Parts: sequence; C-alpha cells; structure tokens
Amino acid sequence: MTAPLLETHDLVKDYVIGGEVLHAVNGVSLTIKRGEFVAIMGASGSGKSTFMNMIGCLDVPTSGTLLLDGIDTKTLDSDALAEIRNRKIGFVFQQFNLLARTSALDNVAVPLIYAGLGYTERRERAQAKLEAMGLGNRLQNTPAKLSGGQQQRVAIARALVTDPLMLLADEPTGALDTQTSLDIMGIFQKLNDEGITLIVVTHEPDIAEYAERRIIFRDGRVIEDAAVKSRRRAVAG
Amino acid sequence: MSKLLNSIAGWGVNIAIAMTALRTNLMRSILTTLGVMIGVFAVILAVAVGNGAQVSVTQQIATLGSNMAIVVPQPDSGSGPPRSTDRGRLTERDGRAILRQVSGVSAVAPQIRSSVQLVTPGRSATTQATGATPEYGIVSNVTASEGRFLTDGDVGAAARVVVIGQTVADKLFADANPVGETVRINRVPFKVIGLLESKGSNLGNDNDDQIVVPITTLRQRLQTTAMQGPDDVTLLFVGFEDEDSLFTGQQEIKRMLRDRYRVPKGRISPFTVRTTTEIAETTGQVTQIFQAVLVAIASISLLVGGIGIMNIMLVSVTERTREIGLRMALGAKRSDIRNQFLVEAAVLCVIGGAIGLTLAVLAAAIFQQVADFPAPVGLDTAIMSVAFSAVIGIIFGGYPAIRASRLSPIEALRSE
Ligand SMILES: Nc1ncnc2c1ncn2[C@@H]1O[C@H](COP(=O)(O)OP(=O)(O)O)[C@@H](O)[C@H]1O
Ligand SMILES: [Mg+2]
Repeated sequence: MTAPLLETHDLVKDYVIGGEVLHAVNGVSLTIKRGEFVAIMGASGSGKSTFMNMIGCLDVPTSGTLLLDGIDTKTLDSDALAEIRNRKIGFVFQQFNLLARTSALDNVAVPLIYAGLGYTERRERAQAKLEAMGLGNRLQNTPAKLSGGQQQRVAIARALVTDPLMLLADEPTGALDTQTSLDIMGIFQKLNDEGITLIVVTHEPDIAEYAERRIIFRDGRVIEDAAVKSRRRAVAG
Repeated sequence: MSKLLNSIAGWGVNIAIAMTALRTNLMRSILTTLGVMIGVFAVILAVAVGNGAQVSVTQQIATLGSNMAIVVPQPDSGSGPPRSTDRGRLTERDGRAILRQVSGVSAVAPQIRSSVQLVTPGRSATTQATGATPEYGIVSNVTASEGRFLTDGDVGAAARVVVIGQTVADKLFADANPVGETVRINRVPFKVIGLLESKGSNLGNDNDDQIVVPITTLRQRLQTTAMQGPDDVTLLFVGFEDEDSLFTGQQEIKRMLRDRYRVPKGRISPFTVRTTTEIAETTGQVTQIFQAVLVAIASISLLVGGIGIMNIMLVSVTERTREIGLRMALGAKRSDIRNQFLVEAAVLCVIGGAIGLTLAVLAAAIFQQVADFPAPVGLDTAIMSVAFSAVIGIIFGGYPAIRASRLSPIEALRSE
C-alpha cells in the first residue's frame, strides 16, 4: 500500500503582527490521494494561500505535520526541500511569474537547469511541453509578446516540465477573462485525466465545479470538504 | 565524472544567467565594470612604472661602471644633505696614494666637474664638463664611438681637445660628423677629437649630455669655481679588480684618508667613500618604497571598484528578490542562487579586469614611447591582476550573493 500523496495533521501557521498572534492556518488535517483534482475555496484572508505555500514547501509550518509522498518534511533540509519543489511539485501562480525578457522556451527550461539537465535535453523537453500546450509556434516569444492566457499556458508548461506528481495553482484564473479561465480549467482536467494530482485555489464557484473535490476554508480552518456533485466537463477544444 | 560534467554545465548556465542579467541592465553593468577597470588599470600601471624605475636605476648604476668606489671630499651624510662647511680637500696626490697603497685597485680616475657653455657658429649648448684622465675611460667604461678618447699626451700638454656626448653633438652639429670640428667652450676654442659612446638616459637623466676634456686643460682654462690648491679635484673614481677587493678597499681608503688628513679620533671624516654596490642597494630600496606607495594608492582605487561591485550586487539582489523566490520555487537550491550572483559579480570583475589590463598595456607602451621610460607589463602581472579582480568579485559579490541565497522562498516570492 503506497502512502497518500499528501497528508497534513493539525497544520498551523501563525503570524505575529504587532504583538498579536494571527492563526493564518489554524489546525488543518486532511489527506489528498494521488490523481485527485481538488478545489480550495474560501473568503479572502481565510488562509488558502498560506496553506498552499506550506504544502508546496515554500513556507514552513509553525506546528503540525506535513507528509509529502510519505516523507515528513520537518526532517528535510533546504536542499532537500528545493529538490522536492523541483521534482515533485509544479507551481502555477495568479500573476504567471514568468521571467521578463526571456523567451517562452527558456522560461519553461528553468526548472530543468536546477534538475541538472544538459542544454539540449532542456530545450527538447521544454519545447515538447510548450507544443503540448499549443504554443509550438510561440517558442521564442517573450512574455510581453504573449496574451494572458498564453502566458499562463507557458507557466503551466514550466510547472509540468519536470513531470511532477502534483500541480499547485493559487488562483490561476484570477487574472484571466472568463473564456480563458475555462480554457485553463479544461487543460487542468485533461492533465488530471492523464494522472496528475491537482490542487487549485479559486474563489469562483463555477471554476471550482471543474474539480472533483471541494474544500472550503474559513478563518484558517476547513469548514467543508466534499465531492463536487454536478461536476463540469470542459468543452473539447 | 558525470557529476563533475554536471557541475561544469551548471556553471555554464550560471554564466548564461549572469550575462542575461548584466545585459538587461547594460548601462549599470558598464558603470560598475568601469570601477574595477580603473582599479586594475591603476594597479598594473603602478607595478609597471615601479618595475620600470627599478630597471632604470639598475641601468643607471651600470653606466657608472662596476666594482668602483667614488670618493668625494664631503662628510658622509647618509641620505641627508651634506654640510658644506665641513667640506674637505681631495687631490690628485691622494688618488696616486690610493693606487699605490690600497690593494686590488686597478685604476684611479681623478675628476673635476664644471658647468660650461659651448658655442659653434649659430648654435650653443650648456652642459657639464668633466676634466679627466684616460683612466676615466677605463674605470667608468667610457669609450669613443667616433674619433678617440683622451690620451696621456692630451693631459700632459693640457691640449684644447674635447670628447663630446651624443646629445651635445646633436645640439651643436646636428647630423654632421663633429670629429675634427672646432667648438668654443667658455669662449676658448677646442678641437673635437671624439664622440662618446651613447649610454642613453635613465629616469630623465640624459647620460649623453656631457663632455670630457683633459683635467689639466679644465683646470687652466675652464674652471669657474675656485679650488683650494692646484692639485685639487672634485672627486675620484677608484676602480677595483673584483668585488671582494672593492669591499675591503673601501674601508682601506677611508682609513688612509683619515690618516693623510690627520682627522682626530671621534671626529667625523670629511670624506665619503661609496661603492657602486652600495649605491645600487640604497637606490634599489628607494625605488622599492616608491613602487610600494604607488601600488598601495592604486590598490585603493581597486578597493573602491570592489565596493562599487558590492553596492550594485546588493541593489541587484533587492531588485530581483521576486525572481530569486521564483527560482527557488522552481527548484533552485541556496547554492544555485549564491553561485548565480557570485558568477555575476565575477563576470563584471573579469571583464573590467581584462579591459583594465588591455588599457594598462597600451598606456605603458605609450608611456615608454613618450617619456622614454621603461614600464614593462609582465605576463605574471597580467595573470595576477585578472585573477585578483576575480577574487575582488568573489569577495565583494560574496556578501550580496549569500544574502540572496538565505532568503526564504515564500518571502522572496511575495516581495514586490
Ligand atoms: N507574511 C504574512 N505576514 C503576516 N500576515 C500574513 C502573512 N501572510 C498572510 N498573512 C495573513 O494571514 C491570513 C491568511 O492569508 P492568506 O493565506 O493569504 O489568505 P487567502 O489566500 O485565503 O486570501 C490573512 O489574514 C493575511 O493577512
Ligand atoms: Mg490567497
């Protein structure tokens, strides 16, 4: 029996602001299995991003346990965490976070630098992922020459280029118009069908309906965790 | 093996990232490089000029002749100025006594020095005249490249003959052959019998700007400053057979002169006896201090350049905090981030160092041409300075780089 992809026990993140302790994440325990497509919802300030940053190994919990692929992240040093971010996790951000004045191809290849791959292999893999995102004719474009939807697809290609176990997306459609948002959710569904685990933060209920499981945060706690009843399927194309 | 290849490839990537970042802020990169460039330029030029001074001094001393002692009738003042009141006398007779009594002496060349004016039709020159005997040629390696040098006959007859240096010849006769021509020295007509072999110039001192006449002639016809006796000389050059006899001979001469002039015990001798070896040593020390001061001043500018690098790297880290966070999110280890910024600083420094080196080599060459002063830039200086600038980059880029690598991924990513 393999361990679940992600397991948290009583996960807590405190911030001290002006002498007052703020429990941004206040005791979250949940399990996410391989291949799940999870939507995280909740009001602004409810702790969604803080939670995502911890499970993405970008931030360290104040207390509680985080098991990633069966490994307790408390036992890992900064190099090992960097390696997990590189190999097992792909990030998609609301603001895309592409390197300016850098071609789509080079942007997508960045994680492969840190994976220690050679130049040719980096280019080949990056190109393949961009082609899979329908950007085969935009390889040399810099972010400034791409639309928002295209930029987010470059970012998804970058997140996928090391073939990670899961994709973490914090409001990936927050900066996009409705149609483009639906396109992105379609891409996520397709990737999920191919087996990748997806955790997507959104505050739009209809976007959340593309997922198969919906978790709702309030004041740093999970107040609802259930399967999506009438799941939407993206229209092909 | 593959790990090694990977790490080399990793550095290649870092260089690529660094070049991109530097190109993005081209103007800033150029200005930063300029600091290092000027620093390296100054250091290399200082070393070159210092080396040149040493070479020049060595050459200058070599023109004096080797294994020689110089005797002057002045108390030994060390490096300070002599006190003229204590001036003693020195005579040709003293010279003959030295030749007779001091062991290992091969020749003694008595000299009187005097400033003179030379005139040919339509031209004139002022120079230093040395009244000498043929021994002067032997002891200090002076020969005639055209015509002939002084003979005992010239001295015995107090002949009005002169051997002139190349610079004097150029001034008075331009391109014409001066040998056999007549020149008026302090209004007295002299016949030019020879041209001194050129000894070039060192440290702005032209060795060819002089003339040599028989000591007897100078005494009778050209002397401007009065001597106390008919036999008095300005100085003696004493040539020795080898370095060992020079060393013991110096002490013997000092003792002998004290005896001859009955200098009481405890009184400072009114004579200075210096060997060419000593002169070489003291001047060598002086030029070394000169070089050290030059290099120290130049190093300060390199230090300032290094601080400039640090400043710019700190700005760069601050500006690119978000990029650092992103790279960490994508899997960059702390060491990757550190190396990225280190390489960036090192690239700035090495480029600055290389340009500074090139300019210094050019400047040294121009200096050599214009000032007629050797300023050799050795391969060792070149390698050392470029390596030095890379080290500057690593030291001054190191702090910002380590600071960047210590950022927490999420805090870096959240920064604006
Ligand atoms: N670095 C921080 N320092 C202080 N407080 C923070 C920090 N990050 C988040 N918070 C606070 O923690 C709470 C949860 O924030 P966040 O996880 O970003 O919420 P969400 O993503 O659900 O909008 C908020 O009250 C926010 O102000
Ligand atoms: Mg958020």
